[in-house]
Amino acid sequence: MHRPLSTRTLSRLIAGAALVLCACGDLTVPDFNNPSIEDLQAGASPTTIRQAAQGMLIGTRAQMGAQNGYVSLLGILGRESYNFDPADTRFFTEMLVGPLDGGSPAFGANLFAQRYRNIRLGNTILAAIGPVAGLTAAEKEAVRGFVKTIQAHDLLMVINTRDDLGAPIDVDVAPTGPPAPIATKAEVFARIVTLLNDAQTHLQAGGASFPFSLGPGFAGFSTPTTFIPFNRALRARVDVYMGNFGTALTTLGTSFIDPAASLDLGVYHVFGSGSGDTENALFDPNFRAILAHPALETDAQLKPDGTRDNRVLRKVTIAVPAPPTVQGVTTTVGFSIYNSPTAPIPIIRNEELILLRAEANIGLNTPPSLAAAQTDINLIRANSGGLAPIALTGQAQALDELLYNKRYSLMFEGGHRWIDARRYNRLGLLPLAVPSHTVPSRFPFPEAECLVRTPAPPGC
Amino acid sequence: MRSRYLLFALTFLFWGAAPLTAQTRTLRGTVVDTATGMPIQAANVGVRGTSIGTTTGPDGSFSLGIPAGTTTLLVRRFGYRFRTIVVQPGETEIRVALASDPLQLDEVVVTGQATAVERRNLPNAVATVNAEDVARVSAQSFEHALQGKIPGAVIQTNSGAPGGGVQVRMRGVSSINAQSEPLYVVDGVLVSNVAIPSNQNAVTNAAGGSNPALTQDAQVNRVADLNPSDIETVEVLKGASASAIYGSRASNGVVLITTKRGRSGAANVRMTQRFGFYQLSNTLGARKFNTLAEAQSVWGAGAATYFQPGVTYDHEKELAGHTPLSSETLMDVGGGTDATRYYLSGAWKDDGGIIKNSGFERQSLRANLYQRLGQRLNLEVGNNIIRTEASRGLTNNDNAGVSFYMVFPFTPSFVNLGKNPDGTFRAHPFQASNPLQTAELMKNDEIVWRYLGSGRLTYDAFHNATQNLRFVASGGADYFAQKNDLLFPPELEFEGDDGQLGTSLLSNSDNLNINSGVNGIHTLTPASGRFTATTSFGASYSQRELNVARIISRNLVGGLELVNAGTVVGVRETRQRVEDVSMFAQEEVLLMNDRMLLIAGVNADKSSVNSDDEKLYVYPKVAGSYRIEDLASGIDALKLRIAYGESGNQPLYGQKFTPLIATQNITGLPGLIVDGLVGSTDLAPERQREIEGGVDLTLLDDRGTLELTVFRKDVSELLLQRTLAPSSGFATEIFNGGKLRTTGVEVGLQAVPISRPDLQWVLRSTYFSNKSTIKELTVPTFRVGGFGTSLGAFEIAEGKSATQIVGNDSLADGSTVVRQIGDANPDFVMSFSTDVTWKRFRLNGLLDWQKGSDVINLTKFLYDLGANTADYADPITVGGVATTKGAQRLTVFGKQTAVYVEDASFVKLREVSLGYEVPPRIMSRMWGGVESAHLTLSGRNLFTSTKYTGLDPEVSNFGNQNIARNIDVAPFPPSRSFWFGVEIVF
Repeated sequence: MHRPLSTRTLSRLIAGAALVLCACGDLTVPDFNNPSIEDLQAGASPTTIRQAAQGMLIGTRAQMGAQNGYVSLLGILGRESYNFDPADTRFFTEMLVGPLDGGSPAFGANLFAQRYRNIRLGNTILAAIGPVAGLTAAEKEAVRGFVKTIQAHDLLMVINTRDDLGAPIDVDVAPTGPPAPIATKAEVFARIVTLLNDAQTHLQAGGASFPFSLGPGFAGFSTPTTFIPFNRALRARVDVYMGNFGTALTTLGTSFIDPAASLDLGVYHVFGSGSGDTENALFDPNFRAILAHPALETDAQLKPDGTRDNRVLRKVTIAVPAPPTVQGVTTTVGFSIYNSPTAPIPIIRNEELILLRAEANIGLNTPPSLAAAQTDINLIRANSGGLAPIALTGQAQALDELLYNKRYSLMFEGGHRWIDARRYNRLGLLPLAVPSHTVPSRFPFPEAECLVRTPAPPGC
Repeated sequence: MRSRYLLFALTFLFWGAAPLTAQTRTLRGTVVDTATGMPIQAANVGVRGTSIGTTTGPDGSFSLGIPAGTTTLLVRRFGYRFRTIVVQPGETEIRVALASDPLQLDEVVVTGQATAVERRNLPNAVATVNAEDVARVSAQSFEHALQGKIPGAVIQTNSGAPGGGVQVRMRGVSSINAQSEPLYVVDGVLVSNVAIPSNQNAVTNAAGGSNPALTQDAQVNRVADLNPSDIETVEVLKGASASAIYGSRASNGVVLITTKRGRSGAANVRMTQRFGFYQLSNTLGARKFNTLAEAQSVWGAGAATYFQPGVTYDHEKELAGHTPLSSETLMDVGGGTDATRYYLSGAWKDDGGIIKNSGFERQSLRANLYQRLGQRLNLEVGNNIIRTEASRGLTNNDNAGVSFYMVFPFTPSFVNLGKNPDGTFRAHPFQASNPLQTAELMKNDEIVWRYLGSGRLTYDAFHNATQNLRFVASGGADYFAQKNDLLFPPELEFEGDDGQLGTSLLSNSDNLNINSGVNGIHTLTPASGRFTATTSFGASYSQRELNVARIISRNLVGGLELVNAGTVVGVRETRQRVEDVSMFAQEEVLLMNDRMLLIAGVNADKSSVNSDDEKLYVYPKVAGSYRIEDLASGIDALKLRIAYGESGNQPLYGQKFTPLIATQNITGLPGLIVDGLVGSTDLAPERQREIEGGVDLTLLDDRGTLELTVFRKDVSELLLQRTLAPSSGFATEIFNGGKLRTTGVEVGLQAVPISRPDLQWVLRSTYFSNKSTIKELTVPTFRVGGFGTSLGAFEIAEGKSATQIVGNDSLADGSTVVRQIGDANPDFVMSFSTDVTWKRFRLNGLLDWQKGSDVINLTKFLYDLGANTADYADPITVGGVATTKGAQRLTVFGKQTAVYVEDASFVKLREVSLGYEVPPRIMSRMWGGVESAHLTLSGRNLFTSTKYTGLDPEVSNFGNQNIARNIDVAPFPPSRSFWFGVEIVF
């Protein structure tokens, strides 16, 4: 017999359906791939702080050894290097011909964003470290000193690429809120100095050791006490860049400058081939992309025996097997300076400090200071270049000689030639392979930085 | 929790069931063709509103147990008009005549998760493609077989690489940053269509440049695994108005695939054997250097060693000119009784690639079973095991000079890249990379094992003359394991570039999709017959989980492929899991003598990817259609329809988190670093509101149909990526905001100009066009995809087309601005198909025409940079100054990006097939017992007409994309295929 479906039965069925749904508990699925940033905020553990501090080393290394990174791009601008990668001709069209395009993320915007990412990490650590249980007060001071030093170095690399545009400095703001205002170049340098000085104070209270590892790049600089000379070395570079030559000499005295020590004594970005590590992509054994500017060979001075400056012989390969020609640009010279995928890149080393001292002395331009500069320059000429000593006869000639030595001593280590040429208004003297090429004095702001600002500031 | 859920579901199923109607009787009958009186086999005969049914045997006869009272039977067969027959009490034998239906007017089409109606009442423009249309011409993946067959869907391959990589985009743009893929449902299983990159990026370093997208590996979206010959029907719900009942995963449309079933009767065996080959269908050519001086002006003094006047090499043909034998073997068996039916199929496809070491294979085994478990309960089970293996060469963008078409632009035609007499390859004199060597020695294999299992338990809880209630518990699993095995042996010329000889890449991925649910369907037809009301409701749970583990091994000791033979080894793993719960209810009322259909429904779902995983998001729909018959002479029927619905598009896994990166170290020291992503605390699905209206006409005594549809979909709460000031240390935040609107029109026309017993001609044509506009943007204009404005980029800007391409352009004063220089969206797409049956011959053709749609042709840019484009040295005069075409393009590069943005309009002859049915007397003489035999000559993509100067106007360097398709960077070259086939049924 057919029984009609009752309303009661129907309602029981609907109730059943509802029950089925209630049976499906909560749907919480965690992030399987990453820890949360909350782990590095209130209530951070000492381990998290340690690993984040070590993360500062990864962050400050980011982009340094990339083929479109700081060393490579600044090398192209300063006519030290080329990148012949056929896949991306912006190494020619933007970097050599110009203009630089703020909308090209891999051609300058990266040099900005990566630095600020590390500064953010530092600010996050500084904000979190106060109440962390399990670290002593001295250890916390050591972390603060380390973090601020690295932040200062990152900020220095920012202003090196943006120069007279200035750069944001009060960047510890909510990421989705209004952006930090753009400070002038002088304000940025002042902030770098403040950070370095604060860091020094923290480090002085930082006890005997850091509560984390600094790795092989900081060998000899790995306790708060031995880290301070590195901090001072950075400060000396900033002093010279600011033209405060007297202060620079004082600061250098507290750095690790040592004419008797190895010129390579210093602090380095280190690379590794292990899983999760980064390799130095400036190592290009087949000379596929990264090549040297031919003027590095032709401008080199001769040693007494008639052969070229040892620095050239040491750092470049004169005759590469298949010299490329692209858009009227050719070279037969390649780099051998980075000779393995794990070759380190200097952050700052003794050879630069000696030259910075010479530069400060030349800047002071007194007979005793020029004499001191001559001693330092001849030391570098002899020990690094194998060249005969020279006599400095006046400030202009001394400066030429200094810049020659900075060019060859610090070749392809971090844009020194471009930065120095800009500082001494010599960008126009850099050799151009094709007359239509240009040498920009700075990178524009990244497009993303411009889009959040109304009206768009200069450099956008 | 999952098992508890199923238990509840089952308990619920049997709870409250009404007693079974015990009295039944046996009805016998025959189904015949009205015109010829010939028996129709495999017609479905069923009792309306129940799952009671059977199919007719070869002689058209059936026997069915039906209720004792007055019973309504539905008789239907694909290709015939369906009929409703009222069987009076006491009637025991009937004869049903069905009329032929070449225009498929009476097809049954889905309206919800559990219900369907005849097309003539359907309130939405649902496209359907049947088995014959899917399988007519051999296709590598079933999406290829849909090209040109679905009005409103742009279906394009991403490159010519064997094995798939096809995007199906329905009704224009639906999203910017969320899922771009439709939801694919195979026999009720929500199958995975993820595309997992091969990790060739570890060699190409494609993501190391200015676009870090990891999708440049020419990856395959995994519906490519499905065996097209198993498909019975494909139903395509294009927008929210049709797909709302699928909730927050339906925004890009839903593709419902039903596989073949067995029919009761003796075993029916069908065997198909095809042989064919693929052939390179287009090349770019290269510059011809006439003199040594000309060669040296580009390639330097060294060119003298290689240049010989008049001697050139066609590197593209040397690379991709292979035509190995391809084959496809298909066999299926179906049969059974009313209580037990089975369908078994096996398929073996082996496509040779046009490039050495490339190709595609698929093996598939399927067993679909139906078992009646009693008068009221039946069980359907589907099992499918598939293995596919694609060898896809090394193509698409790179930053290492290794991808085939990244090397050719820098390879002059006078250089011989072939083998030396000793069998080694010649070194490339201008690039440390020889593509012929790379192709011959490398390996890029993608091997997938996949299991698709579905189960469906149907329970007739109750039925009488006016009501019936059915419950369906269904569920299934889709599991696949994908292995990407890539080897670049040490002897490859480019292998020394990183100082580490030899690279071996191994990726193992596994994906599991599970879903289960319970539906109830209640039908009420009062004795008056004034209306039929169908109520359906249900709930479901689904989960999808994807783990990818990768090993990169370099500097291979002894050149061994084992990843532990490398001295530099990197590992990487990512995991994701998403869980969803969804419930729905829908009411359909068919009234006014089946002239009017009204549907209202609602879906509510929650998901683990939303910031609030407890919150239910509700998606309603309403739809109606009204049918007027014999409106005027020549117009048999006119249907007006309108539908409104909402659907969603979920955030992607991970978007709600603000992560720290924990996978990096510095010389072994672990370090946590800040990532660029800021997660939002209120991420919700995007919401699409679509309204669709249309008119359907049946004309000239069922000899023609016209379907006209207009739609407007508004997508709001878009998942937008806010670009944060880089000085904040962060790069992006995902949040809900903004609005986009897509409007469009779709027209389908079918006609049977000739319908005679010995000659029938069916014509079909579709037309559609749509346009997507950004109506509101709560963030500044931003770019998606591309490589910066100098090389062309897609830009999302308020008031502008969602698919606009922007680039640098010069103003009269010489300054450079960024502005729109193209649009990837086609102006319109049309297709024409013809189907002529003459005696024993049958000819089919399908032409696909796309008008408009711009492509950024960066392959050409690369050739120009190499001063090596075929037309590079062709002289032109610009402003009175003589120059060459290529030099001129380079001169304006950076200032006028438009020189590399090209119109990609095309006409493609997608399919041609000529079939011949061997007369039975010949067959029976040759091979007794054979029922029928067909011979077929066919081809796919035989002909392309386009002004586009790249390899193929269907191209996407970045794979499937919401917006940024149509970027051409060194793709796999396109091919056409030719087939000869024999099909035997016995």
